[in-house]
Amino acid sequence: MPSVERSQELIKSLFESVINMDEDAARVISNAILNEGVDAYSAITRGLTAAMEKVGVLYANHEYFVPELLLCSDALYASLEILKPHVKIDTSAFRKKIILGTVEGDIHDIGKNLVKIMFEAAGWEVYDLGNDVRISRFVEEQKRVKADLVGLSALMSTSMLAIPKIIELLRAEDKGVMVMAGGAPLNRDIAAKYGANGYAANAGEAVQEAFRLLEAKSK
Amino acid sequence: MDVNLKKDRMAKNERWVALLNRRPLDRVPVCGFTGGFSLVHTGLSIADFYNEPRKSYESQMRVAEKFGFQEIPRIAYAGFGGWEFGGEIKWPSGAFAQAPMILKYRVQKADDISGLSMPDIKTAGIIPNIMQICRLVDESGSPYIWGLICGPFTIAGNICGMNTLARWLIRNPEAAHRLMTLATEFMIDLAQYYADSFGAPRVILDIGDPSTSNQVISPKQFENFVLPYATKLADRVLGTGIKHIFLHACGEQNANLPSWSNVPLGDPGIVSVGHEVDLDIASKYFPGHVIMGNIEPALIQTGTPDRIYEAARVCIIKGRKHLGGFILSPGCELPPLAPEPNVWAIMQAVSDYGWYE
Repeated sequence: MPSVERSQELIKSLFESVINMDEDAARVISNAILNEGVDAYSAITRGLTAAMEKVGVLYANHEYFVPELLLCSDALYASLEILKPHVKIDTSAFRKKIILGTVEGDIHDIGKNLVKIMFEAAGWEVYDLGNDVRISRFVEEQKRVKADLVGLSALMSTSMLAIPKIIELLRAEDKGVMVMAGGAPLNRDIAAKYGANGYAANAGEAVQEAFRLLEAKSK
Repeated sequence: MDVNLKKDRMAKNERWVALLNRRPLDRVPVCGFTGGFSLVHTGLSIADFYNEPRKSYESQMRVAEKFGFQEIPRIAYAGFGGWEFGGEIKWPSGAFAQAPMILKYRVQKADDISGLSMPDIKTAGIIPNIMQICRLVDESGSPYIWGLICGPFTIAGNICGMNTLARWLIRNPEAAHRLMTLATEFMIDLAQYYADSFGAPRVILDIGDPSTSNQVISPKQFENFVLPYATKLADRVLGTGIKHIFLHACGEQNANLPSWSNVPLGDPGIVSVGHEVDLDIASKYFPGHVIMGNIEPALIQTGTPDRIYEAARVCIIKGRKHLGGFILSPGCELPPLAPEPNVWAIMQAVSDYGWYE
């Protein structure tokens, strides 16, 4: 076991490798973390998750843009690939689940993919249905997965019309299902009008909004 | 909302000529920014807008006449370039699709760029359909032809996918520049094709560049990867004798406006902005050009006629102060399924607040 100082140093380096979009460094540090006996789960939560939270803030504040966010996520996934197989605790029982998809008629998935990255970095189990997802597919997946949240994305004023229809079908199966919506043509008012419980203007805000919704539901 | 419009004193074509020659107008011109709306509104499918040029032309003309829009029939969509460079597209189908979608990008990795060849300007992808509509416009006696090209950045993103292009801006700028150069050359060729086919002074050249918004790239990346190519393209377009460039830069573009304002757009150009940009700000950056905008499309889809009337009124009050000329329009394409009363609300606002006489 490394000293506390050394563990902190490695985790800080891992954190910085993600912020700095340095995929190679993320791999090297992740291997060092394993070789030196630092707990992989701790490295993920304190290094990677914390880094992507910071990236989300940088993105929301217009300091990082899509190119930076994508490269940060490349570093994140490079590290996760190394660390994940060595996580000793079974987190499946308490991990939150979200189903994500870009709705039918729409293949714009940059925003949805950024949201996926942020949820994965925050430790959520993400069921990504992809893009141009037919309406019934969300309902089928929710029946199967029983996710805590369903996230719907649309980039066009036509495809966004699928959102209320999906929500209606989801609620017909389960009145309590929680839904978030996002995408360029939407805003909080439209999302609410369509029946969504929550809305995020960008990927950086999505995870926070999700936790806010779940907290409100539990009260 | 009751619709009670003043009778126009200028015909559509007269208004275009007056607007682009800086002469007085009867009222604020309205560009419906109709794509699929025209087709849906005339009982056809959205796909027909793109792949049935004659039907598309007729629908666009009928809808323009019905509502009093300035529309010059054309085909335009943000995925342009993907198919033309060898990618695969899917026509819009079903209840929710709005435009052709790129299913497979021609360039998957940087090495693929060297295998790219310049598309045949006369036969590639959707260009024959675009030209057929332009010819129908030409035959109708319209003073202007509306020719689509796109911004090189948006074209490059449609060739390799925006996820790839975005990464290259940082990881492989050389690949991004190669693709941008190719996209720029293709657009210059296409501009020349319009000029040769219809006479340069009659062409309004539509450069759509939505992928350049700050929802995607930073203002600095814009300066490095968009501005040099957009400037070169505009210079070359104007060099053909084309006098009017229509720049459609929708999305969050506020921080890019200082750069965009350095791109030559003709005399006058037309600058179309999304609802994210205040028309007073657009007016400041483009004092000599016509500005166009910018009712939020989602509002037209989801709002009430009263709210849309008010949004249009605010645009008119701001826009008509602009000395370079003003066209009222949605900030981007009119939602194809927009309720008709919401569209009439725009025209009622023009009737009530948009008369110059």
